[in-house]
Amino acid sequence: MFGLGMAMFGGVLGCASAHSDRAAPGGAAGDLGANVAGTSAGGASDSGGASDSGGAPSGGASAMGDACVEHPTLLRSQGTELSLRLSPTLDGKPMAFGQPNTASDGGSVVPLNFRFYISEVQLLPKSGDPVAVDLVTQNGDAENYGTHLFNADDDDSSTVRVLAPVGEYVGFSFALGIKLACNQQSPRNLADPLTDVSQMTWPHTGGFLYLRYEGRYTAADGSSMTPSDIPSAVHMGGSITKEMVPRATVSGALPIDANGRAQANLYVAMDEMFRGATSNVDVSDVAIGLLSTPESIAGERLRRGLPDLHVFTLGEFQAIQ
Amino acid sequence: MTKASQRVALTVISAALLAACSSDPTSPAQDSAPSLIVSTIPAGFPKGTNIELAPADNALTVERATLGKRLFYDPQLSRTSEVSCGSCHQQAYAFADPNPVSTGIEGRTGTRNAPSIVNAAWGKSFFWDGRAHTLEEQAGKPIENPVEMDLTLADAVDRVAGDPSYVDAFQKAYGEAPSEASLQKALASFVRSVVSGSSAYDRHLRGDDSDFGEQRKRGEALFASEKAECFHCHPAGSLSNEGYFNNGTYTAGGDTGREQVTGRVGDIGKFKVPGLRNISLTAPYMHDGSLPTLEAVIDQYDAGGRGDPTTDPLIKPMSLTDEEKADLLEFLRSFTDAALLEDARFAP
Repeated sequence: MFGLGMAMFGGVLGCASAHSDRAAPGGAAGDLGANVAGTSAGGASDSGGASDSGGAPSGGASAMGDACVEHPTLLRSQGTELSLRLSPTLDGKPMAFGQPNTASDGGSVVPLNFRFYISEVQLLPKSGDPVAVDLVTQNGDAENYGTHLFNADDDDSSTVRVLAPVGEYVGFSFALGIKLACNQQSPRNLADPLTDVSQMTWPHTGGFLYLRYEGRYTAADGSSMTPSDIPSAVHMGGSITKEMVPRATVSGALPIDANGRAQANLYVAMDEMFRGATSNVDVSDVAIGLLSTPESIAGERLRRGLPDLHVFTLGEFQAIQ
Repeated sequence: MTKASQRVALTVISAALLAACSSDPTSPAQDSAPSLIVSTIPAGFPKGTNIELAPADNALTVERATLGKRLFYDPQLSRTSEVSCGSCHQQAYAFADPNPVSTGIEGRTGTRNAPSIVNAAWGKSFFWDGRAHTLEEQAGKPIENPVEMDLTLADAVDRVAGDPSYVDAFQKAYGEAPSEASLQKALASFVRSVVSGSSAYDRHLRGDDSDFGEQRKRGEALFASEKAECFHCHPAGSLSNEGYFNNGTYTAGGDTGREQVTGRVGDIGKFKVPGLRNISLTAPYMHDGSLPTLEAVIDQYDAGGRGDPTTDPLIKPMSLTDEEKADLLEFLRSFTDAALLEDARFAP
């Protein structure tokens, strides 16, 4: 398995141009997906309800189709820029990265690494089909691979921008991860945010992590004993052979009008993420050895539990003229 | 770099790239010798050659890198003219320092081990604490550091400006008299030209396993496994994710590393993840040079670090067997590029 993975990461030298190597689907016998058939979190395209999550990306319109394209063609050349400011919280308060944050039990949590991918964003109209929208940069270009990497240590990554058509929406949904076609690619052949610098590469499956968290907990009495409901690390990934990216749906009024911009906070409740990662969701169907570490077990529990969690919550919507 | 500036950079450097790929014999700085600049990507590194990654305002040319090499080895850039950049970044040690900490002018010593400059063209930040964001920014700091070269950049410029051959070289390289900016750019250009990509590991990544036997493959598998978890920081190929982590070397009262840049308690003991090319040549190890051998490095990781509570949660005791340690060691030795040590292009 590792030989295959390493071969997949082969690169180039000299003046020759890069070749396009690609993971062989099914080649990584150890990927999670091979052992959790039918366990993609939730049903497809579930929507509605307050910040519920789950399900593989729906078969609705996509900004990129199924391919992993570095510079995808924008679905629409015009629209209102909707900026969503990702704001992690702990115990209902803003969570500062790299600093002690008070948890509900009086202990403190210092986040050391927290990042995740967002892709395949869809606005949810009051009626009708979801509306696929482009993830765009501050300059209005399409984000590489239609994918955004949130990195809590990089303030510039905290804002997710989509180009939205005029309409009355009741929420939105997104894939908490990257599309399968990108997960099957070697990071050697990809550009940001799908390079090793993302810190999301996961060589033993040949794919990427979808979400990564590491942190340090200190109890109120000063001891470093980590409680059972606050993990020190969560690594959520999937498979290079099948679609396993969970989908988050966030409810809230999004009245998008023309000729302007709009913004809102998108709160990320770490407590809920911790709750999912430390739940008793059964992952025993995954082969021993593949989930051999506490962080990957925590990640799989989180992935499976997302439909019942309220990790993402929309803040106040503001139209900017 | 924005896409627009990348396009500009590519346009500007296209001539240089073509010259480099053909080892332009007409270059006045090279005569018939191999070009100092070779457009290249070591096996497994991300997209972009060292030439393509140079910033738009400092396109990588033979003239600039050659000037930078002269500056790199010139002790005039230290106040007492005792040490040069090359004093601490020695080619014989893959451009690292064999001493735990380097010795600057007048016998002054710092607190950190001099990292290798090899393949720095792909770096995202520089120094153990990442306080420099570009090679150009990095280049001037050792010159000004009181325990290293202790010379202001202004004084450094005055010194080279007094040498007509330097003035001529700056004119050819940058079309201007020596300045602080062009001095730093030239040094960065030389560093950007120092690329290592001919190790057994590089050949293995390109499909040639003639010097990558079963033990190295076992070590590679362990390296990439959840047991050893090396890959989280040292992903296959580039062998660095360019991040900052507390790998368990820090102990209370020691060098706090990244925290000195950010002021965040969570960054105490974090240091930049180094690339591992030529790691068997760059002893001693860790930010403080406190581990004399690779065996000691493996033992420290196997123990889960030194026990400080600030240690990254992924650094845990591994219970490696002696055979596994030997496999890892052999894998690490596959990163050695012996040709680099004798490459006359990078020598003084």
